[in-house]
Amino acid sequence: MAKPTVVVVGADKGGVGKTTVARTLLDYFTAHHVPTRAFDTESPKGTLKRFHPDISDIVDVTSVPDQMRIFDTLSTTDASVTVIDVRAGLLSPTLRSLRDIGFLEAVKKGQLNFAVFHILGSSIASLNEIEDTSAFTTDAKYFLVKNYFNNTSFFEWDQPTHAAYFKRFKDAVEITIPKLNEMAYEQVELASVPFLTFVANKNAKGDAANYSFVLRGYVRHWLGNVWGEYDRIKLNDFVASAAAPAGGGPRVQVVRTAQ
Amino acid sequence: MPQQAPLYIVASPRPRVGKTLIARLLVEFFRDNGRALVGYDLDPREPTFAGYFPDLVATMNIADTPGQMALFDRLLAGIPRTTVIDLGYGPFEQFFDVMTEIGFVQEARRRSIEPIVLFVTDPSPGTVRAYADVRRRLETTAFVPVHNEAVSVMYEKADFPPSRGEYGVIRIPRLSAIVRGVVDRPSFSFGAYMTERPGGPTEIHSWIGTIFTEFRELELRLLMGKLGASLSDSVVGKLSATLRSGR
Repeated sequence: MAKPTVVVVGADKGGVGKTTVARTLLDYFTAHHVPTRAFDTESPKGTLKRFHPDISDIVDVTSVPDQMRIFDTLSTTDASVTVIDVRAGLLSPTLRSLRDIGFLEAVKKGQLNFAVFHILGSSIASLNEIEDTSAFTTDAKYFLVKNYFNNTSFFEWDQPTHAAYFKRFKDAVEITIPKLNEMAYEQVELASVPFLTFVANKNAKGDAANYSFVLRGYVRHWLGNVWGEYDRIKLNDFVASAAAPAGGGPRVQVVRTAQ
Repeated sequence: MPQQAPLYIVASPRPRVGKTLIARLLVEFFRDNGRALVGYDLDPREPTFAGYFPDLVATMNIADTPGQMALFDRLLAGIPRTTVIDLGYGPFEQFFDVMTEIGFVQEARRRSIEPIVLFVTDPSPGTVRAYADVRRRLETTAFVPVHNEAVSVMYEKADFPPSRGEYGVIRIPRLSAIVRGVVDRPSFSFGAYMTERPGGPTEIHSWIGTIFTEFRELELRLLMGKLGASLSDSVVGKLSATLRSGR
């Protein structure tokens, strides 16, 4: 059995687009034919579950039964990647639980792949949160995600603070999520489908939809840029060491717009 | 091969180089040929082009997303028709930004629409740069430079290479100032003038005749260019051999 991969997507505060990033990751793995499952911690109503109902479950990561559902099944599930969208404020507690149950130890021994996508807020309030998490993630791939998708003016930090902040994560890799056209984003929200499905002009049932080509174009271009970032950090190679070769699953053709 | 509908984009990053005049001439040329036709004026502040053809040309503002959807989604919807866009210098950048970002050209081709940029030239370095820039961004799109002699006498061929050598350049001869005044009148129609005005040919007659001939030849050159691009060299060679022997 190949090595399973766990990807934790978290933020220290809400409204920074954490679930958006998780959705782009699920689309990315879908496109690369990597069998993936997802856990949404926004109980009782999960946004991720709304967009990816077939592969998502809603859980409470702090509860033992749900921890068992996620982590005890890692070696038995068909999915080679498990994406966990961790609710705002729960990133540190979640990582602490992972240490306590011996998960981080297994990562250290190389039995599991572990990546953390930490979505940064625009304010300095999240500094303490990062210090917290750095202690747990020495063996993880740690990605600091600057998310511009719904925001044009972001990161108005002064340089020294910024530098001091990132110094703690000398192994962390920065990822930038570019801005997405607001109307396009809104339409995907309304459609409640994965970005990839929207681009393919399909509805949630897989039937032909009638979305605006302009908006689909904006989403395709944006998704291409986001995936460009994932390619840059070699995300697929990271999980491919675990992933089974592409078997079944829907084949989705994604056309990247040439720059 | 299915019938393709050309989408002519009359463009320049500079004002007052004759874009609207050329868009008008194109509309009248196609209308005279009985072609199903639609036009778009992208200058919402001063929609001169739409003013000449209120029933045929719609004014669009692509500054925001709803406006972009109104234009680009409409271009791709329905039965493909010959389309003429008068792209003002104002929305020049935005138009090509959106066009490249949303992958418009590939989708248009999928729907049997072939975009062709008629780029109205002038000698300023900014225009030369703008031409090189949009051509690079729309590598597979046909670009044909237009030399309006009323704007500049000089024309540096090397500054505006067409996307295929055989497309050449469309030359719009200069009209005398008085005649230009006549042509600019809102009620003036090139086609009607050609058919209705009896008596000997005037300056305007030969001017319109020259330009319509240029358009006719352009359509032929575009067709040949497309053939050349879509067939392999050997097939083209065979085809032209057949044509020669048949003559």
